[in-house]
Amino acid sequence: MTQHIGNVARETSAIVAKPAVTIHGLKKSFDGRQVLGGIDLDVPAARIVSIIGQSGGGKTTLMRCVNLLEQPDDGVIEVNGETICARGAVTCKDLAKLRQRVGMVFQRFNLFPHLTAVENVVLAQMHAAGIGEREAVERAVRLLQRVGLGHRATAYPERMSGGEQQRVAIARALALGPTVLLFDEPTSALDPESTGEVLRVMRELARDGMTMILVTHELPFAREVSDWVVFIDGGKIIEQGAATDVLDRPREARTRAYVAKYAASG
Amino acid sequence: MSLLHTFTGFLQVPWSDYASNIGWGLLRTLAYTIASFVGAAALGLVLALMRLNRLRLVRLPAALYTEIFKNVPLLAIIFVTYFGLPSVGVKLSVFVAGVLSLIFFYAAYLSEIFRAAIGGIHSGQNEAAQALGLGRGTTFGHVVLPQALRLALPGTNTMFVDLLKSTSLLVTISAAELMTQAQLIASETFRALEVYLVIAAIYFAVCYPVSQCLLWLERTIHAGVPLSIGRRRRLKLAKTLLAGGA
Repeated sequence: MTQHIGNVARETSAIVAKPAVTIHGLKKSFDGRQVLGGIDLDVPAARIVSIIGQSGGGKTTLMRCVNLLEQPDDGVIEVNGETICARGAVTCKDLAKLRQRVGMVFQRFNLFPHLTAVENVVLAQMHAAGIGEREAVERAVRLLQRVGLGHRATAYPERMSGGEQQRVAIARALALGPTVLLFDEPTSALDPESTGEVLRVMRELARDGMTMILVTHELPFAREVSDWVVFIDGGKIIEQGAATDVLDRPREARTRAYVAKYAASG
Repeated sequence: MSLLHTFTGFLQVPWSDYASNIGWGLLRTLAYTIASFVGAAALGLVLALMRLNRLRLVRLPAALYTEIFKNVPLLAIIFVTYFGLPSVGVKLSVFVAGVLSLIFFYAAYLSEIFRAAIGGIHSGQNEAAQALGLGRGTTFGHVVLPQALRLALPGTNTMFVDLLKSTSLLVTISAAELMTQAQLIASETFRALEVYLVIAAIYFAVCYPVSQCLLWLERTIHAGVPLSIGRRRRLKLAKTLLAGGA
């Protein structure tokens, strides 16, 4: 039952030493305001890396550069050894292919409301990856069962709880066989129970060897799920390390202030 | 007394002699309606997309067009097209002139409805499609347009019925549609009240069921019933797989 999701991911987990995503000297400005001021980050394959930090600190922008939803102004990004952008120019020849390898899950799920859950998972398989209809539907049904939503396959998003919608969104991203998954505050629109559901799915993915980059404000969630935590402030990496180190014993003053603030509220 | 007078008046119009006039008139009314609506919807969509374009140079002509044709009476457009254009060498048949006038006028209104509908789609939809590797065309066709059509349906339906009624203005260029036939019959029988009441009833008898059907369509789509064959097939397949595999 669990074998099909991680097929591609498990192949990459054999080469754990090699980073799935390498970011070097990444810079990005919006209207003259610098959001990322030179980021260097390696994300090893089959790891979960959480990026934490204040709103507007550049963490979402950093993640959106990895699938080129944002085009960096400077710096180099490699995904599975392929340079996708360098010094402000996109070097990735096939954006659609890149986005099949790097899936993304959004804060507000962004499911297609005019389609049922299963059709949400089928759409990009047929129209971006060119998979045949029968295979696409079969895979969609398997993935929905995998995230515990087989019984909701023909329901529309508006009839689903937030946790169910987010799990459909994860299935939709998985359908293209990515090796890296990006999560943009995946639980901040969810109640604690739904957060638990999403957490369970992410843990299973981690076990299957999926590389995941996660932007979050919820420190308990980050501690639960991630191997590595990166604290970003003012467009720079202030501190990074094992989740327990950064969240429980932060070295930098700014990290301490942030952790104290969000540990109290979250 | 006068009511009785009206009733006996109905009987004095030899309706059976005019049945074929009314029938052909009705057919022509429907032909004008359908041809104009298809044209106006197509032009309206193009105008809406132009107005949503990033480039001012593309937006401006579409905005100009919409403002002009929304603020000029339909009758003036019909007269300019049919009576005016021949003086600059453009001689159009009654049918073409009539259909073009209706297209010019209704495209302006439909473009406003379409623009609001397309603009009303949350930007997260585009982003999700992009993140899934869908191209611009596919995203528009499979993500934006189906949602926009749902949003545009109520306004578009109102416009369709409005257009059907507006074909009666083509009586001014003797378009041989329903109202022109009515005028003909009235002038032959001198029974204006009876004839125009009957013709009005015929317009009602067509428009009312049409608008009810369109309302039903709105409700059906809103309830999530898949209309396309492809969607039905995929959902059926999914259900079969779930019944067998789970």
